[in-house]
Order: sequence, then C-alpha cells, then structure tokens
Amino acid sequence: MGSLLGNWPSYDPHNFSQLRPSDPAHPSKLTPATYHPTHNRTLPPDNQVISTEATNILLRQFYQRAEEKLRPKRAASENLMPDHGCKQLRGSNADDSKPYE
Amino acid sequence: MFHASNNIVARIFSRQISSPRSGTSVHRSRQFYENLVPSYTIYDVDCPDYSFRKFTDDGQYLISFSRNNQELIVYRPTWLSYSCKGDDCESHGLPPEAKRFESYFTQLYCINLASGNESISKDFFLYMESNHFGVFATSTSQILDAPVTEGAIHGVPVIEKITLHLVRMEDGVIMDERTFRNDFVNLAHNSGVFLYDDLLSIMSIRYQMIYILQIRASGHLVDVRAIGQFCQEDDELFLNSHTQGFVPLDKGKQEESSICQDNSSMQLDQPTQGGAFLSGIKQRLLSFIFRGIWNEETDHSLRVQRLKKRFYFHFQDYVDLVMWKVQFLDHHHLLIRFCSVDGGMSRNTDQYRAFFAVYNMETTEILAFYQNSAEELFHLFEQYCDHFRAPSRSPLYMNFISSHSNNIHALEQLRKQKDACLKNKATNFSQLVKKTLAFLPFHCQSQSPSPYFDQSLFRFDEKLISSTERHRPSTEHPIKFISKRHPYSLKFKIKPGPEAGGVDGRSKRLSCFLFHPVLPFAISIQQTLQPSVINIHSVMNIHFRK
Repeated sequence: MGSLLGNWPSYDPHNFSQLRPSDPAHPSKLTPATYHPTHNRTLPPDNQVISTEATNILLRQFYQRAEEKLRPKRAASENLMPDHGCKQLRGSNADDSKPYE
Repeated sequence: MFHASNNIVARIFSRQISSPRSGTSVHRSRQFYENLVPSYTIYDVDCPDYSFRKFTDDGQYLISFSRNNQELIVYRPTWLSYSCKGDDCESHGLPPEAKRFESYFTQLYCINLASGNESISKDFFLYMESNHFGVFATSTSQILDAPVTEGAIHGVPVIEKITLHLVRMEDGVIMDERTFRNDFVNLAHNSGVFLYDDLLSIMSIRYQMIYILQIRASGHLVDVRAIGQFCQEDDELFLNSHTQGFVPLDKGKQEESSICQDNSSMQLDQPTQGGAFLSGIKQRLLSFIFRGIWNEETDHSLRVQRLKKRFYFHFQDYVDLVMWKVQFLDHHHLLIRFCSVDGGMSRNTDQYRAFFAVYNMETTEILAFYQNSAEELFHLFEQYCDHFRAPSRSPLYMNFISSHSNNIHALEQLRKQKDACLKNKATNFSQLVKKTLAFLPFHCQSQSPSPYFDQSLFRFDEKLISSTERHRPSTEHPIKFISKRHPYSLKFKIKPGPEAGGVDGRSKRLSCFLFHPVLPFAISIQQTLQPSVINIHSVMNIHFRK
C-alpha cells in the first residue's frame, strides 16, 4: 500500500505501514494534547508590561553607584535594597497590552 | 552536528541549509573572509598625487585630499574584473589597467573646502551613514600671542577660524557650515568632535563650552544646547533677570563690569579671575563632589574634617580643572574628561591627574566623577567597553569591531596584561589603570570595521598594523595575517612599499593602511621623502572556461 511518503526508499518498508495518507473525506481525529494550568499562582498581574530598559547597562551602573553615593548613610539595620526590575506596573492604560504568555 | 569545514563551497552550502546560532549572523558572514583574503598585491600603482584618507564605514566612498589641503576629492570604489580567453591564461600577467588607480576607483567630484589661508584638517572626518553626510573641518593657522578674552582660558592654542562643513557625499554639495572664531577645538584624529546618531558634540576648549548640534536629514546643523557657562537653556535668562543692579564681589574689577539696565539685552561681564560665579558645569561638579563626601559620614564633626581634607584643601585644583574631551554615552549622557591645562597640552599623561565625569544633559546632573586611576572605572571599562565606545548602529558590523567586550581573544589579551602587571612588582596596578583609561573618551570613528582585523579570525602584529587608523613605522618584512583557528596557517601578507623593498634602507618610512570595510580590498600607502608608494591588495581569482 502506498505510504504517506510515497515510494521513497526506506530502510525497512514496514516502518511507515501504520501511517495512512491523509484523506480530505476522513479528516484525522487526532488533536494535539493541550495543557491547562490547574492554579493561577503564576499568572502575571493584569497590567504588567515587559519592556526593554531605556538606559544601557553602563549607565544603569553609574546611576546605581550615584544613588548609593548620594543617599545619606543609614544604620546597618536599615539596609534597603534598591527596587530595580524590568517589570513595571503601569497605570491603567486604554490600550493595555496582554500579559506575555 | 557535523564538523564545520573550511572549504568555501562547503560553507556556502552550509549557509543554504542551516541558519546561524542566534545573534551570530555577522560572525558567520565574517567567516567567509577567511576564504577570501587580499593575498595578491599590485605594487606601486599609478595614482594621482592626493593624500588618501579613509574609506567611509559603509564602503561607498574613498575620501582623499589634495596635497595643498584645500580640496576634497571623493572616489567610488569599483571592482576590477578581467577575463582572459585561451589556453595559457595563467602565464599572462594582469593587463596594464591593473596598475592604474582609475581601474579601482571612479572619481565622483572634487570640491574646494578651504580657501585663502585655511587648510583642511587631514586627520578629521566623520561620516553619518544614515544620510550619507560627511563632516570635514578646515582651520587657519594658530595665532600666537592671542589677546586675553572674556571667558577664555589661558595656555591653549588659539586658532583664528575653525569651520565644520557638512557635505552630502553623493554629490559633494556643502549642506551647512559652522564656524568657531578665536577658539581651540582639537581636530587631530576626531578628538574634539563626537558623532552619535544625529548628534554632534564639539568641545571648545578655549571657551570651555560643549556645543551639541543636531544634523537634520535636510542637511541643516541645528543648535541643541551649549553646556559650560550655563547648563539649562534658560539659565542665562534667569541669571540676567536676577542680577539687575548686581555689584560684583571683587571690587577691584568694578570698573570692568557693565550692567545695562536695558531688559532686552543684558550683558553681564564675567571677570576672568575671581569671578562672581563659577560656570554652570563646574558648579554641578563641585556640588556632586561635596555631596558625595558629605554623605560618607553621619557624624557632623568627622564630616567637616573629611570635607576640609578632601574638598576644601583641593578646592582650587578642582576649580582650575578644564574640560578637555567629551563623548556621548547615549543621547542624553556625556562622558567628559577634565584635566589641568598643562595636563591636556602635555603628551605625557602619567604625570598629570585627569578626571572623568558622567553628565546627564537633560537633568543637568553629574552622575559620576572618577580620577583616572580609579579602579572602579577600570572595572566598568573592563566589563562594558563596548558601551563606552558608543558606535553607530548602522551599518550593523560597526558593533563588531573587536574589543575585549565582544571578543574572547581580546579579553584574554587584557587578562594577560593585567596578570603580568600584578605579578611585576616594578609596575603597579594604578599605572595600568591610567594607561587603559587614557583612551577615554574614545575618538569617534577611529577604528576600521574591516573583518580582517577581527581577532577571532586573524592574528597579526598590532604594532605594525591594527584597526586604529594611524601612520606606523613600516618594516622590510611583509605583515603577516595568520588564521586564529585551525589550521593556524598564514592566510595573507600585506607588504607596503615597492616590491623589491626600499632603495635606501635607512630612511624612516611610515605606512598607513586603508582597508575597505566590506570588500576584500586594501590600500597600503608608504610615505617617505619621495612621493608615496601605493600598493593595492586584493583577491585574485582565476576562473577557467573551456
């Protein structure tokens, strides 16, 4: 019987015997398996937009050091970490981008 | 995965069937330059007596100047091809056309840039690839015994007239000009002018001003801002409107200051010494230093002591610093080199201290201030060298000029240098730091983007030839380019000068090399007392047809 791949040479002619050529009258009933999350703990916040940082990495370093230098020194217990991050919450925009999937 | 072959046909086939790893399209296309090398030299080409300066970064034009430095001649590089029919082609030499300059270059135009006692600065050329605009500079000679002027610093040369010309390279039309009178802008090797995208920064050392101009697509040069005396655009207006009836602090200079009560044109004379106000940029700098030292201590008396020792003691030194060189780090940020006037004029950079400041033009804030021996700045330079270089984004290969940030071989070299310095007790680390940071701020467009200088592909003697376009002493022996990867063989040689070698072995010869950014084509120019000898290095392919 004709295999899906026609009469191309193959190592073992029985290799593709299970495959039937696709027939428009009988569309394949196989649907690819899809996976759905069972929880929503890892969903991004609704109005999250991920964008590239405008300043390049060198300038970010300069800003970081300037901030450390010019910030008045506090006691060691109040060691605050600067809150950097690429992800920024935007205020509600008319054209909210979809969270990145 | 199969072994990559060095054979050009195999590489072409592989290019057809597979895509390169992400981000390596330039690297893969550069690999072909291992197969196409300018191994054939045509010696002593007959060429017009011009000084050939540079290929533009997109390879479209060759810039040259007349010997009297008054005219600009622009050529279009073409590709010589020659075919020979018959059985015995290999024994035929190249035709006589091969020895003529005109076979390789078509003259587009010759325009006069400098007139009278002006002359073109041969070392100065900036190219804006997006609009095919070129920036050239003409200047008159230096004035000796220049008169003391308001706002000018002493000790720097004074040039009567410096003009920057914006030329449309396609047809040689001068689109716009900008003139600076009785000023000093360091034009050697693009030192005082930096082009970033469409912004041009010009460092006027004599008047301590940084002029930022924008090159519009229409060909106009538009003033954006002038930093120095004032930082914000409306500082001058603000100061003038608030100093009506102002009495200068230095009573000795009272007769010099003339304050017009007329609101429409206020003129506040700035006394040259002991002035009422320091310049805007200097004030920003001093306050940044002050605040940095202030914040180091919480205890008030310790704080004051620190300030005395590190700020007030050196106050006059800080005030006497002058801006010497500037470059863009991005559209809003500048990297400025400060030094004393003596330090800037001297060739020996080790002796004098220099400082670097990062300045944001929009917010007029100083972000960082480092001495030239600062290890922190050295580490930033080590990690982010390419960001200091601020290359233009088009053409794409401008981003791939080998540096220790984008090339592992260059990084290895830097590491070896560092290790050697740390092990050698005679030299200390701060000397290496000073030597490395002496390159900052970078000269704009001073490196050739030719793939033959890619350190992943070829190994060559950096003292004899490199991507930095400078004249170098030439030797008798040809300069070898050896492949960096297997099989590590000699790929091609570049020999400047006549084929048989120089007649007079003692005369010092200087060579310079112009590599086309894209084609496997290079020109070597050897200059001695006699007219220069020009060799052309190109690929020679022989095709047989039966």
